[in-house]
Amino acid sequence: MIQPDAIPALDPNPLPAPYWVFKLLLIVTFFLHILAMNLMLGGGVLALVLKWRSRKHAGSNRIFLDLAKKLPVFLPATVTLGVAPLLFLQVLYGQFFYTSSIVMAWPWFLVLVFVTLAYYGFYYVSYRGGRPDARAGRVLLFSMILIFLIGFLFSNNLTLSQAPSRWAAKYFASPEGWSLNLTEPTLIPRFLHFLLAAVAVGGLLLVFLAVANWKRDQDYARQLLQFGGKAFMHATMAQFVVGIAFLLSLPRDLRMLFMGDNPWATALLLIGVGGGIGAIMLMSGALRKENVRAAAFYVPGVLVVVIASMSLMRDILRDAYLKPYFNPGQFVVSTQWSVLLLFLALFLAGVVLWFLMLKRYGLFGSK
Amino acid sequence: MNYPVWEVSFGAGFLIAAVGILHVFVSHFAVGGGLFLVLTERRARRNNDQALLGWLKAHTKFFVLVTVVFGAISGVGIWFTIGLIGPTATSNLIHAYVWGWAIEWVFFFVEITAALLYLYGWEKLDARLHEWYGWIYFIAAFLSMVIINGIITFMLTSGNWVKTHEFWQGFFNPTYFPSLAFRFAIALALAGIYALITASVQQDAALKARLVRWSACWIVPALVVLPALGWWYIRWIPADVWVNARGPTPTATHYALFAVVLVSVTFVLALLTLVRPGRMHLAFSLLVALVALGAMGSFEFVREAIRKPYVISKYLYANSLYAAKMPGDGGFSVDEVNANGILKAAKWISQRDLSKGDQAMVGREIFRVECESCHTTDAYRGVKHYLALRQWDQNKMQAMLGGLDLMHNGVMPPFAGTDAERAALAAYLNTVHPVSAEAAAAASDGQAVFDQNCSMCHRAKAGEPLFKELPRDSTAAIKALKDLTGLFPAMPDLKLSEPQRVALVRWVDTQRPVKGSGSTAPGGSK
Repeated sequence: MIQPDAIPALDPNPLPAPYWVFKLLLIVTFFLHILAMNLMLGGGVLALVLKWRSRKHAGSNRIFLDLAKKLPVFLPATVTLGVAPLLFLQVLYGQFFYTSSIVMAWPWFLVLVFVTLAYYGFYYVSYRGGRPDARAGRVLLFSMILIFLIGFLFSNNLTLSQAPSRWAAKYFASPEGWSLNLTEPTLIPRFLHFLLAAVAVGGLLLVFLAVANWKRDQDYARQLLQFGGKAFMHATMAQFVVGIAFLLSLPRDLRMLFMGDNPWATALLLIGVGGGIGAIMLMSGALRKENVRAAAFYVPGVLVVVIASMSLMRDILRDAYLKPYFNPGQFVVSTQWSVLLLFLALFLAGVVLWFLMLKRYGLFGSK
Repeated sequence: MNYPVWEVSFGAGFLIAAVGILHVFVSHFAVGGGLFLVLTERRARRNNDQALLGWLKAHTKFFVLVTVVFGAISGVGIWFTIGLIGPTATSNLIHAYVWGWAIEWVFFFVEITAALLYLYGWEKLDARLHEWYGWIYFIAAFLSMVIINGIITFMLTSGNWVKTHEFWQGFFNPTYFPSLAFRFAIALALAGIYALITASVQQDAALKARLVRWSACWIVPALVVLPALGWWYIRWIPADVWVNARGPTPTATHYALFAVVLVSVTFVLALLTLVRPGRMHLAFSLLVALVALGAMGSFEFVREAIRKPYVISKYLYANSLYAAKMPGDGGFSVDEVNANGILKAAKWISQRDLSKGDQAMVGREIFRVECESCHTTDAYRGVKHYLALRQWDQNKMQAMLGGLDLMHNGVMPPFAGTDAERAALAAYLNTVHPVSAEAAAAASDGQAVFDQNCSMCHRAKAGEPLFKELPRDSTAAIKALKDLTGLFPAMPDLKLSEPQRVALVRWVDTQRPVKGSGSTAPGGSK
């Protein structure tokens, strides 16, 4: 059937900067993307729960409406911040990513259709959520099902991109691109791992809203804090079960990387686990004492470290999967200095302008 | 063939065209519409025109729902789609231009943020600051066009890049500036065209009339300068590329005509809105938009069609083979594939052995890796349709495949592979549209013989070299047609039957210029 050297060859263009530059940009922008994605997905899940609860708890509807207004902002943030890691992923791992995408071409293409529909759904809920009828809830459910599917398809594609040995059989079974990577043992735990992380961050989003409302309307703020804080704690606790399942589903040699074989990977896992436990304890204390500042500043502080270490672990895991097929030394490097410097200057200016725009808008409470 | 080929039953090219055209129709609005928002806001505030401001708020919502949602997602959609359909080209574009894409991403990020703040800021910000967000949005959107235009034009006119591989040489290529100006004019026209839609649903007839007139102020001047900018654009496209839209390549020629007609119709419709502006109906505004979409799509089709056989001009063919051998090409240049054979070179083929397998089945795989980036069997650019026009039997098909790159002024890449592989492809194509050798030799009408065998490279029109240069003496002409490669080495070695040659020569005689040069020297058109 397929030749052993079936990994597609690189194209003739050299890498326009050293390998590590792209690696760094990939990890940093992925980290930002995943933060935005967590806010969108977690916020959406909690909004859905709140809408459902609002049939019995009148207060839930207000939180639902507050959350619903944020979703049409978090989705474009996720997409916009996703473009950069997608770009840098293609720079380094295009040979793997394009191939796995083609093997599951139609489902992958459908991601676009799903995002567009989910996005319009979010706008509908944000503009019409206040109406007494139940349509907003149904539309939100529809959007969230699409978002789940998108996440599931991402999990399929990225795991498939790390499993070249499966490509040929899947491709020749369906050159029309109707394959998925359902036999991948890590698929479901991996997907659930991302999902739960998002719910936890969605809980933190409510805690942030609690801070914003603390002076104006303390009753409402307390409600936000309690609901969000508990959502965070429950999701993070469940993460211990799912995280262990994820770890156990990895092939033994890869699992052992995080359990002693690679000290750096092991340290990251310990930071992740320790940070998770620490964050739960901090949140629990903050809820008991109603210390909204601790919940809104210390917990996210710890969580940022946890997510950063998870992003690094994910990268280590990818490179371990691809080790038999991928050699970073394969690239010829010829740095395009002028454009690289222009990018860095514009990037810096863009970040400053972005913060200024948000500041002048009053998002940091200065107005 | 380095990557697997995604089999899209209705045509990969069609899918890319659909995603691409819908995207550009919105993304150009995203640029021009940004300027429209800020200038309209300025105008409304200067005149303290509350009715106009009220409409503009609603129009901003429409703008964001169209551009930030559909425009942004379909833009990412183009990435997804070209990665699936042209991974080799995408990989080249990513590696050569990653810093360009990264810069575009910075603008994209600022643009989306500014658009959302502008939308939500209507209720929250003071006028001056709100206008500032509008300006930041427009400038960022325009700059993202400045970047992407460099990469799109590079694909059409790669300039010196093919030799130097130097970023800026490819970026500021010959068509960079004309294309930027041309696209910006389109963007301004689209700002007015989309504004007609939200204007048309206004109840207040006086306001609607003002809005329609204001929209026309964007559409009409932009469309007036568009032909001049188009002329400038065409002037910088190499003549041998542009000529494809003047007859030799049917797709490019037809769409060039559509583009001119549809732009003119858009212009006339835009003027018609001014007849009774206060009573313009939603359906009419949608009609204007639909015609403009057709015009925009036609323009993009022309650009893509004249670029063929390349996806990156002079560098990479549409079927992912490199035009010339170079270090790092992975063995995927035409010359290397000719030498080694496609069955050996291609990574994604399940039947590699011609001596064992069914020839047509192997041919099917060759079709997939070499032809399916543009063709299907019986849907978009379906070969079945073309073969039905030509009526080639297997032998003739095999000969014709040797001259693919000559047909229609070179719109297709050459067939790459060994003679045996070409025979296998011919065997497969003969199963798609079976024609027996007897049937192929049966055509006895001169024009039919010409249409089936010659019209891919020779055109039945005055000035066609074949008509001038085929010997005037019938016997000599019939004899010359016996050995086409002797007539001109690049011609496929077709074996026309005696009656076909006689019929062809008779028909050619009816086409000859009355006062011909009288040359009797054998020669071909190419």
